[in-house]
Amino acid sequence: MENNQIDYHVSFFKPKTRRNLKNRNMILWLVIIWATAVFGFQILLRVIEKPVPEPAYNTFVSVWENVQTENASTEELKDFANSVSFVIGKVYIKPEYQAALSNAFTWSVFRIAGDEREQLYEVLVDFEKMQAESEDIFDPSYVESKKALETYIVKLLDIPQNDVRKPILPFSMSSQKTESYSAENMKITEEAMSMYLIHNRSVLTDTVFLGFPFHYFFTAVFLLVLFIGLCLTYCIITDRRIAKEQLL
Amino acid sequence: MKKILLSIIMILASISVHAAATATELEGSFKVGPAIILILILVSFIMVGLLFRAKDTTDYYAAGRGISRIGSGMAIASNWMSAASVLGMAALMFGMGYHGLAYVVGWTGGYVLLLILMAGQIRKYGKYTAPDFIGDRYYSQGLRVFAAIIAIFISISYCVGQFGGIGLMFKWILGIDYMLAVFIGAGVILFYTLISGMLGVTKNMQVQYVIIATSFLIPLFILLFKYDYFWLIPPIGYGSVVSDIVTGVPLNDAKELFNIYGHSFAIAASPEFAMPWAESSGGTFFQWMVIVFSLMIGTAGLPHVLQRFYVVPNPRDARWSVVWGLFFICIIYWTAPVYAAFGKMLAAHPEVGTLAVDAIVVYTAQLGNVNPLIVGLLAAGGVSAAFSTTSGLLVAGASAFSHDLYVKVINPEATAKKQLLIARLGTILMTVIVALIALLELALIAELVALAFSLAGCTIFPLFLLGIWWSGSNKQGAIAGLIAGSFITLISLTYFITGKLGVVLPYHDFINYWLGAWYFAWVGAPLAIITNIIVSKLTKPTPYEVRKFLVENVHL
Repeated sequence: MENNQIDYHVSFFKPKTRRNLKNRNMILWLVIIWATAVFGFQILLRVIEKPVPEPAYNTFVSVWENVQTENASTEELKDFANSVSFVIGKVYIKPEYQAALSNAFTWSVFRIAGDEREQLYEVLVDFEKMQAESEDIFDPSYVESKKALETYIVKLLDIPQNDVRKPILPFSMSSQKTESYSAENMKITEEAMSMYLIHNRSVLTDTVFLGFPFHYFFTAVFLLVLFIGLCLTYCIITDRRIAKEQLL
Repeated sequence: MKKILLSIIMILASISVHAAATATELEGSFKVGPAIILILILVSFIMVGLLFRAKDTTDYYAAGRGISRIGSGMAIASNWMSAASVLGMAALMFGMGYHGLAYVVGWTGGYVLLLILMAGQIRKYGKYTAPDFIGDRYYSQGLRVFAAIIAIFISISYCVGQFGGIGLMFKWILGIDYMLAVFIGAGVILFYTLISGMLGVTKNMQVQYVIIATSFLIPLFILLFKYDYFWLIPPIGYGSVVSDIVTGVPLNDAKELFNIYGHSFAIAASPEFAMPWAESSGGTFFQWMVIVFSLMIGTAGLPHVLQRFYVVPNPRDARWSVVWGLFFICIIYWTAPVYAAFGKMLAAHPEVGTLAVDAIVVYTAQLGNVNPLIVGLLAAGGVSAAFSTTSGLLVAGASAFSHDLYVKVINPEATAKKQLLIARLGTILMTVIVALIALLELALIAELVALAFSLAGCTIFPLFLLGIWWSGSNKQGAIAGLIAGSFITLISLTYFITGKLGVVLPYHDFINYWLGAWYFAWVGAPLAIITNIIVSKLTKPTPYEVRKFLVENVHL
């Protein structure tokens, strides 16, 4: 009965002993550091970021209206095809966007080709045929047809020799999409262009640290170091405190 | 002796020739070298399991409480690093860029919570399993049963993802059908979990960690060296790879560097890979934050993770084993993004084709023309990761089945022999269920695993958190909190499953966005905690004995 009068109660926020108070304070400090580093940094990133378009997006916007109304000049079509190819050149575009962008690219390249359309069409069909028939990507006939189409497109769009898009362009064409550019695909193209060419950037993303964009380093490398550091701190302090109590 | 050495060299040379022949085939064929490595590793698992097999129930549940803190740390890391970590992590970053880092942060940051709020206290409480703790702390058989069922459900959900990973790697290595691959994997894992129990599993986990870490790191050093990046410290060296993806690499700059197909190591500028919350990644700022939160509290609520603290000799070792465990985990998590970054560079050409994203780690090494035997070791490491986690989950699930349901509720008089038998029957039953669900291929590995985290975060985590830190939390509060957490879980899972079946329920988009299956714990956990506190305040106080035990045994 006597024991029942002792108030046994545990509450994180109302520690009853000096030892528990110290432990509570240490945990609170560690949690505050942890939460600020994890969530605070991302909130800061969110607050200061601004949507920044790639140059290709600005080019796209400048010619888009004329392309839609089919009033674009050859130069404008070149700009359009070039800007679209910047998105096509990226790795792993969503399939629904790939189809629409392929339509946009093929259609514009064929419009640019003008009198050479039939010749371009033959080269394209030959490449598609070789692509379907060849079992090996090192097959000389396949390689030759690919090179022929690549050279053709590069010439039509004035793409520099050093440009990384060059080897990818033959795969962006489709002989089924040379004549029309559907309204639906136009809509999807517009969506894909803004999706893949506008990025959230800030001083934290543009600063390079140890080769990384800073925000990437902070999240992928530093936070993990911090987590280990926090755990280590907790264990060392707890061990010291227990040792001290045992001495007393 | 010389003859033996010569024979070994001849065999290895022969394997290399065969392996080289299949090196350019990304999938679909039987790969001799990787297959031999995989078989050797599986045999070693079984041998270790046999050498350290369980002798009684204490061994089976808690490895005799004789595991060192570094050993336990390695076991924690191995237990933790599943197919979702070793294979799925890089896949997420490959497909979603910066958004994928939410999983890296969530799956590591949770250990800080686990350490400072739970590890030592759980060990001091001195129970075998998570349902054991809940049943005891909340003096309720009903809660023990409910917690055991949840623990089994979490284990199954988690295991299904692992079996998917095992199937994927077996399929890649052996060139066999996915269904057969799942059955072979299930058979092997069942065999050695049954004969070894937790002691054998813990020893195996240490071996598995070494295999996972070695197989994971070697290709990274090779890739960084080969493509002219700073290779001595891969987690730092790949920073330049990320920056190269952001700015793009022109053809001239990469003229002497190629992938296995001879494509130039060049890439069009792709800032969306590294920039935060790119629209193309499919994830928003809100989702990034709640995924991190849900994974973190899920980490501190997973029964098979919590159970690791029962196998160390004392609370001090429980604390230090978390530090070691986190360190060992971070070695892999620091480097997983390297595979995603190299994958982007090496798979940039359309001729590479569409790759199974969940196997991007292996494909990246292959595309980088890493020696096929090393690629095989990497794939075997992926299998090892899935095995180590699955074995821990099966033991946790079997413990819940035999210890918490059978012994504590159905037959308290059961002999030790009977208990062991029931534990083994539970393991068989769980393996069969998991293998059958895995065959249905319901979702991606990471999806199923993240779902298990949210479930744990909504149910187990609030009970442990309040159970340890607030003696005012009573049975009624715990039941109410558990119902609240389960209710949120039910809503999210209903929308998730019906969505998979093509059924569109009212507010489908709204619920799928705000209560997504990977992160519904952001609502469920706080709701369960608040409900628990309110109901506890309004009902009969926690019994004196429970409060006394908490003060004198857990917080003294």
